[in-house]
Amino acid sequence: MSKEIKYTEAFEELQQIVADIEDGEISVDELSVKVKRASELIKVCKTKLTSTEEDVNQILKELEE
Amino acid sequence: MSQEPKIFTLQQVVSSIRKTIEERYNREYWVKAEMHKLGQTRAGHCYPELVQKEDGKIVAEMRGTIWKHSFDRINEQFMAVVKEPLKEDTTLLMKVKVNFHEIYGISLQINDIDPNYALGELQRERAETLKKLQKENLLNANQQVPFPLLPKRIAVISAESSKGLSDFMQTIELNNWNYKFFTMLFPATLQGEKAETTIIAQLERIKRVREHFDIVVIVRGGGGEVGMSCYNNFNLCKAIASFPIPVLTGIGHSTNLTVAEMISYRNAITPTELGDFLIQAFHEFSVPIKDAVKSIKTQTIRLLEVSKLTLSKTSTSFSAVATGALSKEKFVLQEFRNGLHSGALRSLEFNKERVRRLEHSTVSSGRLMIQGQRNGLTRTAEQLPSYSSSYLLKEQNNLDRLVQSIRLMDPINVLNRGFSITTHKGKTINASNKVQLGDKISTRTANFTIESEVTANKEENEQRD
Repeated sequence: MSKEIKYTEAFEELQQIVADIEDGEISVDELSVKVKRASELIKVCKTKLTSTEEDVNQILKELEE
Repeated sequence: MSQEPKIFTLQQVVSSIRKTIEERYNREYWVKAEMHKLGQTRAGHCYPELVQKEDGKIVAEMRGTIWKHSFDRINEQFMAVVKEPLKEDTTLLMKVKVNFHEIYGISLQINDIDPNYALGELQRERAETLKKLQKENLLNANQQVPFPLLPKRIAVISAESSKGLSDFMQTIELNNWNYKFFTMLFPATLQGEKAETTIIAQLERIKRVREHFDIVVIVRGGGGEVGMSCYNNFNLCKAIASFPIPVLTGIGHSTNLTVAEMISYRNAITPTELGDFLIQAFHEFSVPIKDAVKSIKTQTIRLLEVSKLTLSKTSTSFSAVATGALSKEKFVLQEFRNGLHSGALRSLEFNKERVRRLEHSTVSSGRLMIQGQRNGLTRTAEQLPSYSSSYLLKEQNNLDRLVQSIRLMDPINVLNRGFSITTHKGKTINASNKVQLGDKISTRTANFTIESEVTANKEENEQRD
């Protein structure tokens, strides 16, 4: 569940950064920080799209409990 | 003598009963009853239990018989009209003949079953399920569960052999965008009587591990159009509607929408379409990210270019501004220098003039002053003789008054007024020069000096200032 929240939050934060940058309200000083943060968030989101962490055996084990 | 009772064989009795019944119930009747158990034998004949219930209690029960040839015909009609095979636990309208068999006893031989009545019953069940769900406020319950941003962990309720399952898996696994889903199959029967219990049981299992899943899908397909009425079953629909995470259906058929499909989070006509929907959800997550990358890139470049431009503009204008400022200051300095020179000259001239004026006025006022003093002196010299004679007169008077008062103070004048001075050895008698009895004292008056001897001496206490 925590992983899910993480990518949902990452997605929302990313949208916010894009909105900020598009508004042009960001100084050149802030820009590099924001862009760095955005690239981290993009990585989190992209990883989420193309990988899975769930384990069938783990779920089966929990079902047997 | 009593008459010997007539004895019948059992066969005689049952034959008689059979004859009576056949004569009494000599035609076919339409009977409405619930078929409790179908009881099909291997040979294909069916011996269903027929019951009538009132308030859940069985108030009438009878065995039925459907011969194989009748059953096959009835079933065929059902499949055509109801899209369902004959099903247990449903109320049916049956054309029956009361039948009595010497060995098997009484039963109702079912020669026909009205498929339209059964269809009506199914519609009624469907309507009933909807009504009950509405009453329990469950109609939109699953549709109001929040849908995950990425529906990537999927609990799949299906049958391993289902064509629908393979369609679904193919759609989501062989996508062109490298999207990865996690799926786990929870096998269930997807149509007919067992569907209700097996699907509910799997939903219960999924609920226990729901933290691992984003959504549940129920996919089915390729199994024909029959046996779908289970998806109108109240218990199954309730389990779906009240499920804590979204349940999506793709149970592929062309008949009327079932209640389960209506109340699920989303219904897709086929499993493939359901898979496409999930891919679309991934797109909706992925596209904004791609857009974000693009937007950040272009906006960053733009922002940097704007900054660069501003900087170069500033530095260009800085040199111009600096040069301008310098020459302006130089000019001001020059002006100042010029001003200083002429100002100094002016000031010098002015002061020179002042000195001249002062010089002039000093000379003239000096002359005036000398003249003034001279006049004063002349006036004083003129007044001096009269001043000195009156002054001398005044001083003479003062001297006269002084002589007069000095004269008044002479002791002789006091003695003249009758006072006398008594002395003892030349000194006046007082506290420090006391006299004793017999002492010789001398008293001076205005005209005489009297010598006398002290005969009494009394000290006066009166103090005088």
